[in-house]
Amino acid sequence: MYIHKAYLSSLIIALISVFSSLIANAESSTESSISGAKVINDNCARCHNARPVHEFSLREWSVIMPHMREKAHLTAEETTAVMSFYSSLQQQDKTLRSSSKGSKSGKQLMSQYGCIGCHSFEGEGGSIGPSLDSVVAAKGIEFVTKKLENPQFNNPASPMPRMKLSDVDVAALVDYLSNRD
Amino acid sequence: MRLSKAIPLGLLFSGTMSAAHSVEQLEADPAGRLVIAGYGDVKYEQVDSLDTSAFSARFVPIFLFSLNDKMHVEAETEIALNEEGEAEVELEYADLHYFLNNATTVTAGKFLLPFGQFGANWHPSWINRSPWTPGIYGSHGGTQAMTPLLPVLSDVGLAIQHTVQLSSNQKLFFDFYVTNGARQELEEHDEEETVGETEEEEEHSESVPEVEFEAFSSDNNKDKAFGGRIAYAFLPSLEMGASWYQASYDVDEKLDVVAKGIDLNLIGNYYILRGEYIQTETDGEEEGSIETFKRNGWFLQGVVQLGHIYPAFGGTELLIERAETNKIAEATRWVYGVNYWLDARSVVKVAYEKTDLREGEDDHRVAVQLSYGF
Repeated sequence: MYIHKAYLSSLIIALISVFSSLIANAESSTESSISGAKVINDNCARCHNARPVHEFSLREWSVIMPHMREKAHLTAEETTAVMSFYSSLQQQDKTLRSSSKGSKSGKQLMSQYGCIGCHSFEGEGGSIGPSLDSVVAAKGIEFVTKKLENPQFNNPASPMPRMKLSDVDVAALVDYLSNRD
Repeated sequence: MRLSKAIPLGLLFSGTMSAAHSVEQLEADPAGRLVIAGYGDVKYEQVDSLDTSAFSARFVPIFLFSLNDKMHVEAETEIALNEEGEAEVELEYADLHYFLNNATTVTAGKFLLPFGQFGANWHPSWINRSPWTPGIYGSHGGTQAMTPLLPVLSDVGLAIQHTVQLSSNQKLFFDFYVTNGARQELEEHDEEETVGETEEEEEHSESVPEVEFEAFSSDNNKDKAFGGRIAYAFLPSLEMGASWYQASYDVDEKLDVVAKGIDLNLIGNYYILRGEYIQTETDGEEEGSIETFKRNGWFLQGVVQLGHIYPAFGGTELLIERAETNKIAEATRWVYGVNYWLDARSVVKVAYEKTDLREGEDDHRVAVQLSYGF
């Protein structure tokens, strides 16, 4: 079997042509706003356990994510969304360290930390973690409090990020999740 | 490459890495340059058919280097001890990705071929739920009783991948590549990179010609291997794909090797089901006529994540795997195992494997493996 150069060139040109048309379709159908938490939820566990965000620094993630982009067939927009998500988590840690006042509601904290990227809540969200709709009723206040303080306390393989929540924030989240039916 | 050369290289790389990552530094320079990631494992294995038991260890660093937003360089080496106690270093891949646009990436260099999912994504020991490769694939230093259909394919060439977003949860993946390709087996060969007859099989009337899949920066003919994979993903639960590979492997370009495969990856809330089916057709020449030897095989690996059902089990998983090779060198294999995840990237696996060969001595083996990603 011998592939003539002309045949090979034609093949490559044909592929590029197909790709070009597909690119146009893909770009027009891509959502304008992509959740980085959802990208993590949808893609990491296809091959391996999701790695907790606190395992690497933001600078390290910026080198690791291009590698994962190729491995997982992520788009540039998805890769950027993941980096934005990681960046927002680190920025929140910094904000928390610099200011202890201005406590937020549980709903605001849920949105801020992108919980529904990995957990379903009120009919939306990811599936990498359990649903939060009745998590307090099912697991108890003590369990959920411990989970927020140390996500790996009950399962060392949990990919849930370790967020530097204050006691007030934890209480606000538990209270918010407790009052769901 | 000997270890003595690899260590200074690693120290050189590690010396260029930033040690501190304060928030202030990140704000000033948020983009990193180099990261060393990778995986490693330590395994104890007792093999009945060889009447041996042994510890083994591997360290597989991956050097990731971000040139700029468009270009990314990566290289994976495997450092392991061989049977003589010497450190062996193998280059698994060394390539450059050029991100052409939002959804298209061009890769050049030595890369893992996107044939199925095991070779491209699942084979690292901290990802593979079993301490062994699935039987239809060969492995470095492997002593498995089942004759594999293919090694984990890695070759030198050019590849292009494209992702099509069908909806927020559905994607199509396209991968195509051109590489140097397989070549006719030389007299001295590395067993795990070769698929075909063994000395024992030569005694039988039907045996697959030996084909060497190991990557070279040269070729024995002008023919190039080409192939690809097309896959559909319904995220985050399902990915299934179809792959093919073909090449002329002899100097005269008369003998072909063709491989086709389908793969499945099903991810549930408390289970993972992975499998592949491979069919190979290998031409052989005997007394002037060309005969095509066909083989096929499959594996299906199921994992139940007990901790996801009963939280008291934490990171405990149950593993069961079935593999078969048919037509030539027929064999069947069962693997049963229990895994315990120490954290999201470190796992202890305990497994038992039973391989029944149609011709030859059956095999039983037990392994305990600690695998870690870093």
